[in-house]
Amino acid sequence: MSAPAISAPHDHGHGDGHHGHIHLQYQPGLPLSRGKLIMWLFLSTEIMFFAALLGSYIVLRFGAAVWPKPHHVHLSEPLGAFNTFVLICSSVTVVLALEAAKANKTSLAKIWMLATLLLGALFLGVKAYEYQAKFAHGIFPQAPHGLIYERPDLYYGSAVRDRLDNLRKVPVSQVPAALRLPDDTKAKPGDTVDVLKRLDEAPEGSLNAEQQRARTAFQLVQKMVMNLDQQAYDMAVIADQVAPLPSEGAAGAAGHGGGHGINDAFPWLRLPMVIPGGNMWASTYFLLTGFHAVHVAVGLIVFTVLLGYTLGPKNAGMIENAGLYWHFVDLVWIFLFPVLYLF
Amino acid sequence: MNRLGGMFWAIVFLAVPVLGVATFAVAPSINVWLPKDISEHGHEIDSLFYFILILTGVVFVATELLLFWFLWKYDAAARGDTKATYLHGSHTLEVVWTIIPAVVLLFLAIYQMNAWANVKMRRPDMPPTVEVVGRQFEWRLRYPGGDGMLGTPDDIHLVNDLCLPVDEDILVQLKSMDVLHSFFLPNLRIKQDAVPGMKIPVWFKGTETGSSDIVCAELCGWGHYKMKGRVTFVTRPEFDAWLERMEAEQEATQEVTP
Amino acid sequence: MSTVTAPTTTPLDHVTVAKPHPVSTFLSTYVFSKDHKVIGLQFLFSTLLWFLIGGLLALAVRWQVAWPWSDVPVLGKLFAQEGGQMSPEFYTMLFTMHATVMIFLVIIPILAGAFGNFLIPLMIGADDMAFPTLNMLSYWFMWPAFIAFGASFFFEGGAAAGGWTSYPPLSTSVVSSPGSGWGQTLWLLGLTFVGVSSMLGSVNYMTTIILMRAPGMTMFRLPMTIWAMFITAILQAFALPVLTATGFMQLADRLFATGFFSPEGLIVNNAVPGPGGGQPLLWQHLFWFYSHPAVYIMILPAMGMVSDILTCFARKPLFGYRPMVYSIAGIAGLGFIVWGHHMFMSGMNPALGITFMVSTMMIALPSAVKTFNWLGTVWGGKIEFTTSMLFALSFVSMFIIGGLSGIFMAATPVDIFIHDTYFIVAHFHYVLFAGTAMGVWAAIYFWFPKMFGRTMNEFWGKVHFFLTFIFLNGTFFTMHILGAVGFPRRLADAYHYETFHHLQPMNAFMTWCAIGMVASQVIFAVNFFWSMFYGPVAGRNPWNANGLEWTTPSPPGHGNFDYQPVVYRGPYEYSPPGVETDHLMQTDPPNPTADAAARQAH
Ligand code: HEA
Ligand code: HEA
Ligand code: CUA
Ligand SMILES: [Cu+2]
Repeated sequence: MSAPAISAPHDHGHGDGHHGHIHLQYQPGLPLSRGKLIMWLFLSTEIMFFAALLGSYIVLRFGAAVWPKPHHVHLSEPLGAFNTFVLICSSVTVVLALEAAKANKTSLAKIWMLATLLLGALFLGVKAYEYQAKFAHGIFPQAPHGLIYERPDLYYGSAVRDRLDNLRKVPVSQVPAALRLPDDTKAKPGDTVDVLKRLDEAPEGSLNAEQQRARTAFQLVQKMVMNLDQQAYDMAVIADQVAPLPSEGAAGAAGHGGGHGINDAFPWLRLPMVIPGGNMWASTYFLLTGFHAVHVAVGLIVFTVLLGYTLGPKNAGMIENAGLYWHFVDLVWIFLFPVLYLF
Repeated sequence: MNRLGGMFWAIVFLAVPVLGVATFAVAPSINVWLPKDISEHGHEIDSLFYFILILTGVVFVATELLLFWFLWKYDAAARGDTKATYLHGSHTLEVVWTIIPAVVLLFLAIYQMNAWANVKMRRPDMPPTVEVVGRQFEWRLRYPGGDGMLGTPDDIHLVNDLCLPVDEDILVQLKSMDVLHSFFLPNLRIKQDAVPGMKIPVWFKGTETGSSDIVCAELCGWGHYKMKGRVTFVTRPEFDAWLERMEAEQEATQEVTP
Repeated sequence: MSTVTAPTTTPLDHVTVAKPHPVSTFLSTYVFSKDHKVIGLQFLFSTLLWFLIGGLLALAVRWQVAWPWSDVPVLGKLFAQEGGQMSPEFYTMLFTMHATVMIFLVIIPILAGAFGNFLIPLMIGADDMAFPTLNMLSYWFMWPAFIAFGASFFFEGGAAAGGWTSYPPLSTSVVSSPGSGWGQTLWLLGLTFVGVSSMLGSVNYMTTIILMRAPGMTMFRLPMTIWAMFITAILQAFALPVLTATGFMQLADRLFATGFFSPEGLIVNNAVPGPGGGQPLLWQHLFWFYSHPAVYIMILPAMGMVSDILTCFARKPLFGYRPMVYSIAGIAGLGFIVWGHHMFMSGMNPALGITFMVSTMMIALPSAVKTFNWLGTVWGGKIEFTTSMLFALSFVSMFIIGGLSGIFMAATPVDIFIHDTYFIVAHFHYVLFAGTAMGVWAAIYFWFPKMFGRTMNEFWGKVHFFLTFIFLNGTFFTMHILGAVGFPRRLADAYHYETFHHLQPMNAFMTWCAIGMVASQVIFAVNFFWSMFYGPVAGRNPWNANGLEWTTPSPPGHGNFDYQPVVYRGPYEYSPPGVETDHLMQTDPPNPTADAAARQAH
């Protein structure tokens, strides 16, 4: 959008030029270039876009009965803070790029532009890592039904049982090394093995500590799940085995707070877990950060394109508009970070 | 463009207020008009309707007649070679026709608040007479049983046929199981959307025995058109008797299927 | 003509819209053209086509309302319903898509897209839009929408059937209704593209109007059309993103079960759709935050164009130019704080309802100012009853009806009874069809010469007006009294209700009128295409109007102006003193007496 922006008043990207007619005089209402004005207008629409998203978030959050603490959902404030810092730096570098370009230090401008590009990329990288952590723990909305349950009720119990039944057959390749038993070496990658059964039946002592722990955990969960019908067991106990909600104390020690449950030990199990308010949290989190990430990505594309030009005074307008957009993206994050990570 | 042309078109525009008023004038006589009101608060709404009808009617007729008159009088063919009056506006007029509607509208806004508050804000403090739950595509009814409380085992469950005591405050607790519905009682001038996840109180007082329609007024899927119920007002004794009978029937059916 | 300062060249035939360049090919001239005039016409043709489709859908709707479950003449065979009758879900789909097509593919794009594009540069003295490429994109972004909406009819379960308001959970839980399968998803995608198109258009229009006015064309010398387009663009820029955002949220609800709009523990069709935790009313708030301003997006440009046409054929200055400008701004401003009047019965806090009721009452004010100023404009004029003028006059006459019915609904207690009845349907067809659509026809007849270099046939134009005018009132006025009975909208068949069973004859009458209304459009279509090629050749200024566009050749070549326009006065100097002709164009050289008169008139 900012591409035709910088072009001199007349040949505004009018592909086949204007040799048709005379050059008209205008009486501009504002001392702004077309590119700059339309960029400001475009940004004002963007503001409304994110205002709608943030507004919805606030309504949904305060309408919700419970809202998970950051570490309930493996959200790490330090990482978020770091990312904020990265983005702010990139806002600085893009300004420096503009200054350099104005001063006709083209190569310096290029360097700053590259720096901006890299910082933006770094931001996305960290975001990707954070997303990865969520996905690994099954914290994301998923149709028809995700892994997150609001409360440990019978629905939850039966969901766990269904999952365990599906686990009866797992491709060997999926079984983590820690759980491999000697005879697995015979099995071909394609084969599927009944992990749970094998762990159950493995003779005492033949298991290492890790496997021991897994075994006890499974046996517990299985026992409980089998007895669901008599409701002899409290689903909360199962939930606690699968993915215990960490106490405030244990808060995000390694960023990835959350006590150690079966799901954390063996993510590939993907057992349904209980996080009160977790569904709406995940929905809003991915909505807001997702759309912001898309905007960052667009910014990176723009910068990549810009790197193709000589960044001198002639193209300063172009850099300035790209910068405006980038500052906006930055600003949005400055709102998102506290709202999502801190409060 | 001859004079006749201008006259013709002026008259076409004259037809608008004439036929417009005529339509509203005959509507009641051909029974295409407000349905019979059997509620206590209904007359408030109806009289407000009539008040606005008169008010807007006056504005409507006045503006449309002006338009007609200008077309008739200022037709180019009728003006010969006199020029149109060179006039850019009038501050006094602008002020006048801003202030007057402003006053009228403000008055209207304040005037009606009471009626609104009566129907939607001044909830009588009493336990719900009945719970109405919208569901594709029927109205599920739940009466408190002997203990007069909802949510107890002795609740009485029915579908679509709402029976209520006449001349008594009724408090309906409106809910929805699936999508939006709207609880519309034309003859009681009551309408309220049923929203899943919300418990919305609706109150009214029937003033006549007899039965009338319950319409679903919010699109709720393909069966929206047939989500029909009936509301029947009976005297207190009749109502109690009816409730007993329903209770008995319910127990009977429950014996068969424990 | 005599007063045109520009070199009077003989009109060029219409093929020279965008004079072919040495480099330009047919594709770059007519298809992927960046010339605002060509893009405007592309919008015009596309929207007229969709207008036809929307009209036919309306007929199908009317047919079912009048004669429920009877065999449908054409559509019955088309969408092989059981034995040519329509199913209730098909009916739901019909009015949903009728509204969607009419609003998003007809009225909005024909106003902003067709006329906004064609007129803005011409009327402010620019050679094109500020960003022609963007402008072209804004048209081509309509096509994914055309395709999405059009294709959705042929998908499993048919097109969207949640009403054009597509309230969740009905629209988000796929199990809740057959029509909300692929149809609803495509509907949301289509909506997004319409949104992108309008957004690109609106920022472009604003930039153009702010930066590319001819010397002397101050903001307060702009024609009302431009003011309306400008403020409409602002409305779009600020309201649309909200719809886009919430559209994405509904899409996410459908595809990933994010549950923004569905509370926990829904049991739809005996199935539990998703985790939930959301709020159905949130959608309604966000949707109406856009869609109420949208209804003004759908009428302000028509108001602007009608103001210009009225003055031209009343040969009289616009009555109260500045009040007219301020009232448009007022409507736009207030338009952002009245959305709740669509939600009086929705379960929203009744106290909030009161505040929305007051703001809604207040929004009638600027409209009142406009109405009275239009009357003031006609008063004391020298009225020429051209087809264009007749449509413009009918706009005023009809808008009064549509507006006044709005007052009933703004009155919350009355709305309790008439909400979601045909009274509402009457209201918005009076403002949208009897209002905007009539205004659009006025504009088409008025600017047709500038578009194609030829004028449309006046006689058949008047026949078209007369029939449309009669039939539309026959169809829509009756809806008011149906609404008074409480006759509910969106019902495939209401006659099994004791309260409504006797209304069938009245509905049959309305349907006959509707058929007549659509039929009368054949006259228009024929006149339109015939005149394009064989109509009487128009000069630069066939109506002796004042705007800049009338100083250009008809049709204008590429770059619009064959001279440098300089503006000396406002656009409404009709019948000023001290000139032999009865009007002074904006570009006419200074005229002491007239300009003095104008100055002290303000
Ligand atoms: C172009 C489109 C357009 C326009 C201009 C308007 C204009 C107005 N609308 Fe309308 N409206 C719609 C399109 C429009 N509307 C649509 C599409 C719907 C239905 C959506 C759906 O549910 O599907 C709707 C629904 C709608 C509702 C919701 C009804 C319901 O669902 O229960 C309400 C309620 O207040 C309302 C009010 C108004 C008001 C007060 C105006 C005012 O702006 C009107 C102001 C004008 C006048 C008042 C007339 C001129 C003034 C005078 C002659 C002066 C004197 C007047 C007085 C002193 C009273 N409209
Ligand atoms: C701009 C908007 C618009 C327009 C123009 C119309 C036009 C018409 N509408 Fe519609 N309508 C709506 C917007 C509109 N409508 C909306 C928003 C709803 C609510 C939907 C909902 O509840 O969700 C609705 C609902 C609605 C209903 C209620 C359905 C229900 O609730 O059950 C009915 C019923 O009578 C109806 C009828 C008509 C009729 C008979 C016309 C006629 O006026 C149509 C006449 C058609 C024409 C005149 C087309 C002519 C063609 C041309 C001029 C092109 C010529 C061709 C070339 C030159 C190439 N409409
Ligand atoms: Cu229930 Cu409509
Ligand atoms: Cu509205």
